[in-house]
Amino acid sequence: MTGLRITVCCLYPDIMSTYGDRGNLETVLRRCEWRDIAVDVTELRLGDRLAPGAADLILIGGGGESQQQLVAPDLCKVKGEGIREAVARGAAALAVGGGYELFGRFCQPERGAELRGVGLFDAWTIRQNAVLSGHYDTISDAHVDRVVGELVVRWRDALLVGFENHGGGTYLGAAAHPLGQVVSGHGNNGDGTEGVILGSAVGTNLRGPCLPKNPALADFLIGAAVIRRHGAADLPPLADDLEEGARAAAMRRALEAAARTARAKRRLSAFARAGLSRGRHARTRAVRAALHVSARRRLAGSENRPSSAKARSGGSR
Amino acid sequence: VSAGKAVRRGTRRLGNPNGTTVPGIVTLAIDRGALAGLLAEIPRGAVLVTGSNGKGTTCRMLAQVMRAAGLHPVVSSEGANQCAGLATTMVARAALTGHLPPDSLAIGLFEVDEGSFPEVLRQVSQPKAVIVTNIFRDQLDRYLEPAYIKALLEQVMQTLPADTALILNADDPRVAFVAPEANNPRLYFGIEDPALCRGETDPTSDFPRCPRCDGELTYTCVYYAHLGHWACSKCGLARPQPQVRLTKADLTGAYSTRLLVATPTAETTLEIPLPGLYNAYNALAALAAASQCQLTERALPAIERTPTAFFRMEKARVAGHDVYLALAKNANGYTEVLRAVLGDRQPKKMLLGLGDYPGKQPDTSWIWDVDFASLTGLIPAPVVSGNRAADLAVRLKYAGWACSGEDSGLTIEPDPVRAFQTALARTPAAQPMWVVSTSVVLWEVRRWLAHHGYVQELWREQAGAGT
Repeated sequence: MTGLRITVCCLYPDIMSTYGDRGNLETVLRRCEWRDIAVDVTELRLGDRLAPGAADLILIGGGGESQQQLVAPDLCKVKGEGIREAVARGAAALAVGGGYELFGRFCQPERGAELRGVGLFDAWTIRQNAVLSGHYDTISDAHVDRVVGELVVRWRDALLVGFENHGGGTYLGAAAHPLGQVVSGHGNNGDGTEGVILGSAVGTNLRGPCLPKNPALADFLIGAAVIRRHGAADLPPLADDLEEGARAAAMRRALEAAARTARAKRRLSAFARAGLSRGRHARTRAVRAALHVSARRRLAGSENRPSSAKARSGGSR
Repeated sequence: VSAGKAVRRGTRRLGNPNGTTVPGIVTLAIDRGALAGLLAEIPRGAVLVTGSNGKGTTCRMLAQVMRAAGLHPVVSSEGANQCAGLATTMVARAALTGHLPPDSLAIGLFEVDEGSFPEVLRQVSQPKAVIVTNIFRDQLDRYLEPAYIKALLEQVMQTLPADTALILNADDPRVAFVAPEANNPRLYFGIEDPALCRGETDPTSDFPRCPRCDGELTYTCVYYAHLGHWACSKCGLARPQPQVRLTKADLTGAYSTRLLVATPTAETTLEIPLPGLYNAYNALAALAAASQCQLTERALPAIERTPTAFFRMEKARVAGHDVYLALAKNANGYTEVLRAVLGDRQPKKMLLGLGDYPGKQPDTSWIWDVDFASLTGLIPAPVVSGNRAADLAVRLKYAGWACSGEDSGLTIEPDPVRAFQTALARTPAAQPMWVVSTSVVLWEVRRWLAHHGYVQELWREQAGAGT
């Protein structure tokens, strides 16, 4: 097919783009360019309406709580109807992180009043002081209630890889379908599901950004956008060698992270057993040993530089 | 303190690079008040430098000027910018009695990690001045957003003594009006050279909002990222008029920059031995602080002799090539280092690195905010390295660099040392080569260079230059 053309609407590129989210747009642009699909990019800022007939793909990125509070009223009142209408007419959408949270029914920030969302997805987000497992050891002391780590998700017959960093837990209503099942990481709220999908609209916690390392998802969205505009799509495959390399590396990282968690859990339960079976002295010894481990960790984390070059060199393999 | 000194000697003997923090940790564990006590013994008080980028370079430049003015700056060792690192510095300087040797010309000059600022300020009770260089997105997985850093700084700035001067970047809307309730004297520095404008926006900006009303900011001129001549379209708040101004700069040199700087009392032309606009800002911050501390103008040219520090365009001579090591740890750092080196638009040989420490700082999404697109073709056949090299390669591909196919010449070599050797072998004879990377790759390259005698080991260098 020739003469293909789609319109991509980027919502608040100046506000909701905290985690390299412009990489998602960049990926759509290049993958279309390589297939001779022309792309018109419409940037919608505060106050701009979304014309449902003119949007083939809607993108919204992540943002912190202050950014969410800034855009939420505009998203609801000015753009909400247009977004729901566009998706009902077959437009594709990708909402990531903070944008995903705002595409649900409501979202509870850490401070301040609950934010009303677009209501596109039958989902809601609340702050939960999530009990985190050991492999989330990158969280600074001030933010222990965030989920930060690698995330691998089974979506259809493929695996999606990425990185999650969120303080909220997202829950899906009866009418919503999760995007996929968590293979490694936390996902929506720890219940094994990740993201949401409605028609060709996808909400997800996957960052990194999401699309460069998941060309299958990128092509799903591009395909849906082309179908919306032209009625059919036949996307020729691209050489995704570098992308596959990055995916493989991300999966290795997720495996290593999972192994670290498992080791930490084993160590903890070993301490607990020692404590239960051998009385007070053994308990004291176990606690001392545990403290020793955590102190060493803190030492390693106390500066921006390697605590020991040798320990760090493993990462480059 | 004595225990700290003993530990320091011990770690040095073992050649452990961790020597910049461990003695401090030990000292603080034995005596919580040791650091505050030692700091209070510095007769001329302390100047603190904080912000996302440029702390270390600003410190080195200012130290140079202070020395030329006859003072004896007590400087924290490079990168050791949290409490433990500061304690190590002080312990190294203290005598075995646990006190500093008496020196009426001593003045503290400390680089402070922006996230540790509150913690450090509890120890330094009476800072003479606080310099805030800029606030960028940095280590999102550690500190979350710039708004959080700004709130953190504002919180502690309320507690500063009334006569502590704030030396602020007028061009950074996050910094210029930090802690508006604090009545401390403010000295602003900023750039006023229309020739350096990048237009009205820069793709690497993260678009901060108005610090007063959250309105949209408009720029008549952007120097880089979100730094420039800004004003709020809603409430009219605008960039303050800086007292220390850069009125002209020549940025086309890959190795040095010529600056024309106007302070309230003088106008000076300086040739700083570092390239790039971000280093011009560092020089401005240092000159503003020198002016605030009323150092003699004759001392200002000393800034031209600022030694380059490790990873800040650090130079080594390897197999007939000049090799430069440049640290780039976030989107703006990476962009500005590349723009600085490629300011003359001449293609150059480079190793581009991206790595993280296992289980730490795994978020490298910021590479998508680096402005690689405008540098297409200027880095022919780059070698990418580090444990996240594959991510960087994808990024370069989507920036439009020739990456796939036979003619690309892009090489992915995760091992930093092998990557370095490959890149060096591909550099034409006598041509320079740059290593631009996050720290993990640079550390490995540097360790190899030190092992082969091309550079000094870090702790040896500090022992020579420091105490």
